[in-house]
Amino acid sequence: MPSRDPRIAELVSVAGSRGATYADARTVEREHEAVSVKDGAVESVTRTADRGLGFRVVHRGAWGFAATDRTDDAALRGVVDEAFRRAEASASVQRRTVTLAPIEPQRGEYRTTLGRDPFAVPLAERIDHLRAVDAASLGPNIKTRRSSVAAYRTRKHLVTSEGTDVSQEIVEAGAGLSVLAVKAGRKPASRYDSRLVRQAGWEYVEHLDLVARATRYRDDAEATLDAPLAPEQPTTLVFAPEFLALLVHESCGHPTEADRLLEHEVAFAGTTFMWPEDRGKLRYGSPQVSMTADATVPGGMGTFGWDDDGVPAMRTTLVEKGIFVGYLTSRETAGALGVPVAIGSARAEGWQHFPIVRMVNVSLDPGTTLYADLLRGVDSGLLMEAPASYSLDDKRQNFHFSTQSARVIRNGQLDGYVRGVAFQSLTPDFWGRCDLVADDWELHGFLSCAKGEPLQLMRVGHGAAHARFRDVPIEVRE
Amino acid sequence: MTLLGEDRLLAPLRQALREVPADEADIHVHRRRAAITRYSHSSIHQNAVSDETHATVRAIVGKAVGIVTTNSLEPSELRRALADAASLARASRPDDEWPGVAEPQPIPAPSAFHEETAAATAQDQARSIGAVCVAVPKGMRAAGTSQIEVTEDAVANTRGVAAYAPATMAYLRALVLSDTYVGSGYAEDLSMRVDGLHPEAIAARAAEKCALDRDRTQLAPGDCEAVFEELAVAEVLRIMSLTGLGGQSVREDRSFMSGRIGERVTGESFTLLDDALDARTIAVPFDVEGTPTRKVTLVERGLARGPVYDRTSAKAMGTRSTGHAADPSRYAAGGYAGHLAMAGGPATREQLIGSVRRGILITRFHYTNTPDPRAATMTGTTRDGTFLIEDGKITRALANVRYTMSALDLFSGIELLGPQRLARDWWSSNGMGSILCLVPPIKVRRATITGSSPL
Repeated sequence: MPSRDPRIAELVSVAGSRGATYADARTVEREHEAVSVKDGAVESVTRTADRGLGFRVVHRGAWGFAATDRTDDAALRGVVDEAFRRAEASASVQRRTVTLAPIEPQRGEYRTTLGRDPFAVPLAERIDHLRAVDAASLGPNIKTRRSSVAAYRTRKHLVTSEGTDVSQEIVEAGAGLSVLAVKAGRKPASRYDSRLVRQAGWEYVEHLDLVARATRYRDDAEATLDAPLAPEQPTTLVFAPEFLALLVHESCGHPTEADRLLEHEVAFAGTTFMWPEDRGKLRYGSPQVSMTADATVPGGMGTFGWDDDGVPAMRTTLVEKGIFVGYLTSRETAGALGVPVAIGSARAEGWQHFPIVRMVNVSLDPGTTLYADLLRGVDSGLLMEAPASYSLDDKRQNFHFSTQSARVIRNGQLDGYVRGVAFQSLTPDFWGRCDLVADDWELHGFLSCAKGEPLQLMRVGHGAAHARFRDVPIEVRE
Repeated sequence: MTLLGEDRLLAPLRQALREVPADEADIHVHRRRAAITRYSHSSIHQNAVSDETHATVRAIVGKAVGIVTTNSLEPSELRRALADAASLARASRPDDEWPGVAEPQPIPAPSAFHEETAAATAQDQARSIGAVCVAVPKGMRAAGTSQIEVTEDAVANTRGVAAYAPATMAYLRALVLSDTYVGSGYAEDLSMRVDGLHPEAIAARAAEKCALDRDRTQLAPGDCEAVFEELAVAEVLRIMSLTGLGGQSVREDRSFMSGRIGERVTGESFTLLDDALDARTIAVPFDVEGTPTRKVTLVERGLARGPVYDRTSAKAMGTRSTGHAADPSRYAAGGYAGHLAMAGGPATREQLIGSVRRGILITRFHYTNTPDPRAATMTGTTRDGTFLIEDGKITRALANVRYTMSALDLFSGIELLGPQRLARDWWSSNGMGSILCLVPPIKVRRATITGSSPL
């Protein structure tokens, strides 16, 4: 746990005596170690550390926030002064005052359950592991191979003027893997994954079986090099959980962020097509589609004890049997919408960032069908294994995805590869085509969901199972 | 943030580098004060300032490299970071491609710092936002951002490199929305000087677009003539930079330049440089390795001339670094072209629009990506001002469209160029890969529209 600096409670107290209606102080210490290997050689060994204090006040009905990485008393006093100056400036151009939805004061500690501390794994062991992975990636046309392992630790301590005092220590472990296949006269083929990360210890890296995965990626890339272009016609698409995790993230997670309703993100990240009057009415997808936000999923990258408003981890439904029903909220957005806090989603990347509405673990709920049975229901279609490029509009309604690897499904069996596959769709139309979700739900983690100004890269989790979508128009490009 | 200045910032670095427990080492320091005020519904909703210092220490033992970062500039902390980095290097394996730390070279004087901008206050930022909000016509509302950033960068190493540069950046943007219909308009100013921001003019430009953006219709997919405003062109240049302008991407056959240097890749009207030394941009005149940043011609009248390099990619490609190593925590290694300058021309906005028989005007893009990196293909949807042009005049507002096309094909069809302006793409305006562009508006023969958003 982080050292509990008693001075931060004093800062909050001082803010109260200066007239703030709310204040909080949050210390954050972040550590990161990463090892990467490229083409058999160690490419980099990195250890980063970043620590500091963020201080928020609501004064004259407006937010002010200041942050510093200095720890001397003068710097801490300066942060309070600066936060008040920012709040006073905010109040000078203000039509809406800040209203925070009420919560009970919180006290306690949260700590990731670990098997083996990933920071304690000797560097030589990590390098040897990656070299074995690298060797498994070798192939006749593989031109570039990269692999990496990483460990992350975040220690946070939050004190608020309402009596909340909570500490958290979150540890994450992950790996990255990529191969690039190149052959004269053919379009290069990449296969990679940057989403192999979980709130866990080194046991997760072992669970990934990177050597077997590297072999599969190599085979996918080699096969895609020589694969024919897919026929450009509407077809049945089966998505692997890894692909669906990103689709859920982009087309359900983002548009249910409540700060988009208030136009807090309109100039950058955009708004939404899911408005308050649509709750309980808007058909988002087929009845097979239910989606949940859950900050309590064991191992999730969006799992915590409390969010950065001090709201304890909760679970809420966003889409129920195809109907849009809920939002991701912070205390401020819940207050503005006049609803109780159904889930705490106020999260800041680091001490230097103001908490904003972010995803937690947003997942497609599993079905009850075996994947093999789902596949058997496809006479002709494609298995979309992993996303490549993705692009969304400012309402999260119009999207375009391409794939790294597309496998042919014939009569319920996988049968070779095709290349050049992409698709664009409108969100409700796409999810409306889902006719079956399998039961093989698995959790994926993202490290860098981008949102906010200054940009904040957030960790989020997404669970999904294989799912089948009928008659999806596809694009095919050389 | 109190500016430390050259001597006070370099002194602890020099002190720490005196006794290095490694064969060689370097330290890059980035100090930043970022003050960001955001507003929506003509009301400030977020107002944040942060002061932060990041020192990145590299220690090399044999040819093995260890990297450690810290927030502290205390010599004792820097020495500890050097020792940690050296121990990581010892536990690592040699990198046969390691090029050594940079040798000292003359570095141009920094020119991107403006005292008055560094001194701008929260009230100054609120006043400029207030001016936007007041200037927006009745029936419309504004949202956006005011950003003031003050930075200091320094690099020192065991071969005697000692480089320092302060910089300032001022930015104001406004997205104006209608209260009564679906429509929006957008405008922004970017400058190293706070007096380079003009709130009333920004509000007027955005409101004018918003007023035009009503009664939208949908454009059918297909090819059409197009006018890309500066922000839209900057988006295409970003895709070119990320996919094809770094030495490592050329080396790994990932770039449109791979195997094509000296060959024609676009039409003759397209020339692209990376020029951090242009007085109109905001740049530090050296990279994170301490190499002075050189002006590099990337594409000259349609011919590929070559990428930018850091020391590692330069060594691998048998050339010299161009001074384009980037912060490894934010960017891929191998050379990063972050100060692009695309040649412009004399065409006015009226001439650009007036030359279109039937086509589209694009203000800016949202969330672009590249389905085909090697062809520098970009896909993205338009936003905040997409219009149909018929017989040289804007005639209708359009629902946002999806555009998907290779940058090389787009720039092969340039027919007219307007004057350059300093601008950033959608991602960079928010810090996701910061690419600054001196960029012109263009009229092109052909842009490929692949879909439309709902009305």
